[in-house]
Amino acid sequence: MKDIIRLENIGVTYSNKKVLEHLDLTIREGEFVAVCGQTGCGKSTMLRLILGAEKPTTGRVLIDGRELPRPDRHRGYVPQKYSLFPDKTVLDNITFGPETEEFGLIGRLKPGFRRRRKEFQAQAYEYLKHMGLQASDAHKYPDELSGGMQQRVAIAQALIMKPQILLMDEAFSALDPGTRSEMQKLVRTLWKETGTTFLFVTHNIPEAIFLGSRVVILGKDSPESSSKVQVDMELPEEAHSREEVERLTRVIGNATAGAKLELTYAE
Amino acid sequence: MLFRIDAKPNRLTALTLSWFLFVSGIALYFYTSHNRHLENPEDKVIPSLQQLTTGMTDAFLKPDTEEAAPEGLENASLGRKFLTSMLWTDTLASAKRFVWSMLLLIPAVVLGLHMGMFPIFGQFFLRFILFFDKIIALSVLPILFIAFGIDELAKIMLIVIGVTPTIILDTFNLTKGVPQEQIVKGFTLGAQDFVVTYSIVLKQIMPRVLNSIRLNLKAVMLFLFAGEMIASQDGLAFRIALLRRHMGMNVIIPYVLWVALLLFLVDLTMRVANKKLHPWFREA
Repeated sequence: MKDIIRLENIGVTYSNKKVLEHLDLTIREGEFVAVCGQTGCGKSTMLRLILGAEKPTTGRVLIDGRELPRPDRHRGYVPQKYSLFPDKTVLDNITFGPETEEFGLIGRLKPGFRRRRKEFQAQAYEYLKHMGLQASDAHKYPDELSGGMQQRVAIAQALIMKPQILLMDEAFSALDPGTRSEMQKLVRTLWKETGTTFLFVTHNIPEAIFLGSRVVILGKDSPESSSKVQVDMELPEEAHSREEVERLTRVIGNATAGAKLELTYAE
Repeated sequence: MLFRIDAKPNRLTALTLSWFLFVSGIALYFYTSHNRHLENPEDKVIPSLQQLTTGMTDAFLKPDTEEAAPEGLENASLGRKFLTSMLWTDTLASAKRFVWSMLLLIPAVVLGLHMGMFPIFGQFFLRFILFFDKIIALSVLPILFIAFGIDELAKIMLIVIGVTPTIILDTFNLTKGVPQEQIVKGFTLGAQDFVVTYSIVLKQIMPRVLNSIRLNLKAVMLFLFAGEMIASQDGLAFRIALLRRHMGMNVIIPYVLWVALLLFLVDLTMRVANKKLHPWFREA
């Protein structure tokens, strides 16, 4: 598998406060990397750097070998909040990407738009079904949906573009435990089906272990220091059972507290 | 009960409360008018119902001058009489200026949007607009009359100077208030700058922009009236200023109520249109 994301010697400073320093990380194509860490450790900053929504103070971010100046259609994005356009129905939210990419702002006046729109809508209905939503939800506005349903639509909206990388920033943090668990299973299934590279940022260690084929934990040695990678480990398929998630959570918890990391799977 | 936060007036109480001041105002008016007419039957300051009826008939059914009356108007229908009346002619003259002023708010919205979306654009205009916003529009009225003459342009420019900076800055702030996630999301869905600006941001702020325009309707009318009162040959405010010289309160009062009614209808139309055009929008 080729390297799809390379963070080289990344440093980020906000008004004289170093958030990240000398951060190096390589993510291979098709991996599901779950990035975990406490609030303020810079994990969302790291995601925004990969997304192209922010620039590092030092170092460089390479996506598929190139430095990309701004977010683009190859990197899908599902944030925790404001993940859908409130003025568009579920259907229009999902078809927005393909329609915009093909027709732009005024291309919708062109002949052929209506036919293509119908095709996009048919695709959108497929995605809705796949996400466990009803066809009757298609004409609802985002604020008529529950938090879990909104995030399902947001994932469909991102996946219909067939991005190389899907970046999710605390995407399930606002959901209740039951919905969260359902969404975690859904996302893992989608990762396996699509083969897309997933990068999932969370502050929840069990969630990171359950989801990721690889878990990266960012943390600080002291409150004054900048964050660095404290744990970076690959997890085999059998690490995702409930018992193993619990056991690994304890191991990682100890490791981030300074104890030696004893991970049987990595050996 | 009066100062209880959790008070829930029933339908009848709510209806009574909301109309009480209207009814009291009307009652107080006619009580005062009656007393003044007992002392002086010719009193013009607070016209009686009869004087008001005469004034309204003149304004609503008769043209401004005898010369302006078309042939055979005496036997014409009420509708035709109204369409040739002084009130209607004045309303059309003011409405024309009002519509022009409203149309000139469209570039203001576009400017505010671009200032909020494109930093270089914003840097270029923001300081200037902030300064421009502090200019009291009425204070530049003489300059406008000197620069543009006393024609329509000066009056419309007065409204533009008075209202557009507020609309530009409101739109700018609303644009800045759109969450960054939405803009980033737009780019990740293949949108380019103008698509993000018009298909994502403008669509989201539009109901609030319309509300902002609605809240500025009174300011638009204020500047329109100032212009018409000072230099005009027609229009609702021109008529009010003209009648003031003749103490024509029996026409001025219906004119004032007519203007309030028109403004109320414009506001209502905009509110209904806003709701229809943006069914997703929930007002705070």
